[in-house]
Amino acid sequence: MKKPVLLFLLAVTSTAWSAAPRDLAEAYAAEASRQAPGFKASPQRGAEFYAKRFAVSDKMPACSACHTDSPARPGQHAVTGKAIKPLAPRAEAARFSDPAKVEKWFRRNCTEVLGRECSAAEKADFVSFVAEGL
Amino acid sequence: MKKILVWDLPVRLGHWLMVGGFALAWATGDSEKWRLVHVFAGSTVMAVAAYRLLWGVVGSRTARFAEFVRGPGQAFAYLESLLRARPPHYAGHNPAAGLAIVLLLGLALASGASGWLTYQEIGGEWLEEFHEVLTGTMLGVVGVHLLGVLVGSLAHRENLVWAMVTGRKLGAPEEAIRGQRFLAALTLLAWTAAAAWWLAR
Repeated sequence: MKKPVLLFLLAVTSTAWSAAPRDLAEAYAAEASRQAPGFKASPQRGAEFYAKRFAVSDKMPACSACHTDSPARPGQHAVTGKAIKPLAPRAEAARFSDPAKVEKWFRRNCTEVLGRECSAAEKADFVSFVAEGL
Repeated sequence: MKKILVWDLPVRLGHWLMVGGFALAWATGDSEKWRLVHVFAGSTVMAVAAYRLLWGVVGSRTARFAEFVRGPGQAFAYLESLLRARPPHYAGHNPAAGLAIVLLLGLALASGASGWLTYQEIGGEWLEEFHEVLTGTMLGVVGVHLLGVLVGSLAHRENLVWAMVTGRKLGAPEEAIRGQRFLAALTLLAWTAAAAWWLAR
């Protein structure tokens, strides 16, 4: 019972604080620089990561399989066909404002598309690309 | 006492459809690749639970809520008696099983509804979180139910899992139900298939 309660509190408090995407990218970069000193988030690397075909899942080989080639455009679920709101905060303001939600979807989508969890460095690059563009 | 029919076909079929549906829905919950399977499995659980509510009123005697739903006090008293030498034997559902049925049916309907509303993007973020809390709670109740089945089976030297397959348990001949209710079982299958297909569209 402890974990759901904790997640719930995390979700409630983080929504109230509503961190900016920039803060989130910086938090991931700070985490990454603990493992690799001098790490700086790179939108270029984020863009390459976003477009890369990991080909672990046949239905969802890459981020762009559902989110299209541009994170600013509306996407479409590769299996259900349901519409997905744009990932980029400049197109959809609520994106990357809730750290708990971002963590949840990194965990779920990375596991499925990459076959493993994403590193803090990958998350930092990804958020800086999606939030700020190239 | 001898082996008599106590669970009709709709009860057993519904039970195992819920087992399969819940297991499949749990296994596919975090996956987008299996999203349609997840929604179909969850819808199956919800459809069976809805049918069970009706069957709890018009079904065979042992399937009726009035026959086996007792308060939590009696349920816990029964659980306590399992730990002692001679627990009372029930041909139908014992009071603890009755409580598990009520909880599981309620949780199945609530988690199914919250999941479906989330899938249709009618509910907000909180409903998705609530869905996860409900299904987690349901898994917990399933765990307690399984433990109860194991302890009950040992205490009564009666394989209760197999009883839910064959419908037959030890009891007095006059406690037996009249028949399998084949037509109602067919109706359950047709209803579940139609409802799950409609919900998962």
